[in-house]
Amino acid sequence: MASRELISYDTGATVKILKWVSPVFLGAYLIWALLPLFIMLMASFKDLLDAFTLPKPGQWGDVGVFFDFSPTITHYIALFAENNFGTYLFNSLVASVGSAMIAVTLGSMCAYSLSRTEFRGKKDLLFWIISTRMAPIVAVIVPLYAIFRSADLVGTLPGLILAFTTFNLPFAIWMLKGFFDGVPYAIEEAAQVDGNNRFQAFLMILPLVAPGIGAFVILCILFAWNDFLFATIIGSGGAKTLPAATKELVQPQNIDWGKIMAAGVVTTAPMIPLGLLVRRYLVAGLTMGAVKE
Amino acid sequence: MVAVSFNNVWKDYGDSVAVRDLNMNIKDGEFVSLLGPSGCGKSTSLRMLAGLEHITSGEIVFGDKVVNQLPPKDRDIAMVFENYALYPHKTIFDNIANPLKRAKISPSEITRRVNEAAKLLEIDHLLERRPQELSGGQKQRTAIGRAIVRQPQVYLFDEPIAHLDAKLRARMRSELKHMQFNLGVTTIYVTHDQLEALTMADRIAVMNDGVLQQFGTPQEIYENPVNSWVATFVGEPQMSLMEMSMTGEKGDAALDFFGNIISLDAASSSRLTKAGIADLLVGVRPDKASVSLQETPGAIKAEVYSRQLLGADVLVEVAIGKTRVRAKADTSFMGNVGEPCYLNFSSENLYYFNAEDGKVVER
Repeated sequence: MASRELISYDTGATVKILKWVSPVFLGAYLIWALLPLFIMLMASFKDLLDAFTLPKPGQWGDVGVFFDFSPTITHYIALFAENNFGTYLFNSLVASVGSAMIAVTLGSMCAYSLSRTEFRGKKDLLFWIISTRMAPIVAVIVPLYAIFRSADLVGTLPGLILAFTTFNLPFAIWMLKGFFDGVPYAIEEAAQVDGNNRFQAFLMILPLVAPGIGAFVILCILFAWNDFLFATIIGSGGAKTLPAATKELVQPQNIDWGKIMAAGVVTTAPMIPLGLLVRRYLVAGLTMGAVKE
Repeated sequence: MVAVSFNNVWKDYGDSVAVRDLNMNIKDGEFVSLLGPSGCGKSTSLRMLAGLEHITSGEIVFGDKVVNQLPPKDRDIAMVFENYALYPHKTIFDNIANPLKRAKISPSEITRRVNEAAKLLEIDHLLERRPQELSGGQKQRTAIGRAIVRQPQVYLFDEPIAHLDAKLRARMRSELKHMQFNLGVTTIYVTHDQLEALTMADRIAVMNDGVLQQFGTPQEIYENPVNSWVATFVGEPQMSLMEMSMTGEKGDAALDFFGNIISLDAASSSRLTKAGIADLLVGVRPDKASVSLQETPGAIKAEVYSRQLLGADVLVEVAIGKTRVRAKADTSFMGNVGEPCYLNFSSENLYYFNAEDGKVVER
């Protein structure tokens, strides 16, 4: 393993300035990334009047008013009591986890085959698989809607799962193929000689690509969870997910900011611990096989 | 335990032929070594035996059963891979136990047999560890343990000790040989190291360019190589080849080596005159050639090219024109590079090959 030590040499003025500039840049970036989340969280606990109480521009002394409010959870209660957010949360969960599971099952088998076999046109097939992700979804949503419509899948959870799977699967195949490529073929050969059939040998090496599969499942869930286009068009009606439901809080005569903020928190909250929990796992998975040991 | 045969086996990879018309009958319980340089088709042949490669044409027979269409799991074989191919996520115990688990043997029996194999291989204290915590030698013994834990019909070894250090390799050679003798299971052992083949195998199959060159006991291969390629491949230090031509009539035939006349003993003389080949490749093993700084009768004048100390003796390479000949000499030989010297060998110890096709001159 290469040394992790940072080697420093006598450096010129540019490097010294950069050393000073980079923390400033990082600090600014941090505020830019976290402030919207922070405002969202604060606003979700404020009633409408408090939410729009802001200091005058330039009056930094009055920044305190931003924090001067009595917290209320009425928006959250209303979301679940009046707007059925329990169902939408459930829909989001089922659709994202369901599509991730299907994509990972089909994807790992497909990726394994593509990793282990050689046949004419393999490169073209691989390219075709990923090319389905190159066109923006908007470009295909109309014909896709027509197909889903005639199959009676619009507005159903299976329909939404299918829709999410169609855009997660190509990604799964490409990502998982890389992981399988990193597993020495000799291990499966040993498994076959040990008395396993080909499928059992495939199952034997699955633990070796587990970090990759874990990372991929999480990415799939994130994609599906955050998706808006499919959710509003294919899922609208019977299979509304959180982002689609949140959008409906914007009514022509009344934009319910408190509820929208609360819905934002409800949508974001489950993904943050997931992201934090799997952060190391994700990095291990994505870089796995990048360097041969 | 079963006899294994290759019947007219071919293996193509697209346009390139890896194994060409292989015919070989391996007896039940025999230890056969497939020997050859890398890319000679020896590993491919082994992998076809294992069922890991398809056979392009021909038959592989275990006992009286053609196994061409059997997947590896149904061939009842155990294989040790060059890079060990252990399951990295399993403990050593589970690695060794894996073939038994597939065979649906009771857990208590599995434990007993794994412990027995581990004890034999002296890895019984490592059973709870994982492969990455083990040294190369220990990994290799785990891989062997996985093979010997059950009694398969055939053992297949694919250069199992190639990556070990020299000392451990020497020890493992004798351990493997001992173990195979005790277990009595038909064993096919692929190696590029002729020392491994000579020391361990009952019979050696020498391969080159996908073609089986010779199949025989180590002694046969060493003493009666069928062609100049086998002769130079087997034996360390390597046999030297010299281009010579026949001269003289029947009765007083001799060899002409760049103007040096080498007289022949009666057996060689009659053998060579009977064959009637004008241009020969004549081989001599270094320990049958001698070199001296003093001129002796019948010696060939040469020049010292290099001098390598082997320990008990020195290997001297001498140059006669463009031909180089290796000879063993006493450590007291002090010739320096470029110094004139005299090479001597007796015609009884020479190997004769046809210069045209390299085939041995018939006896």
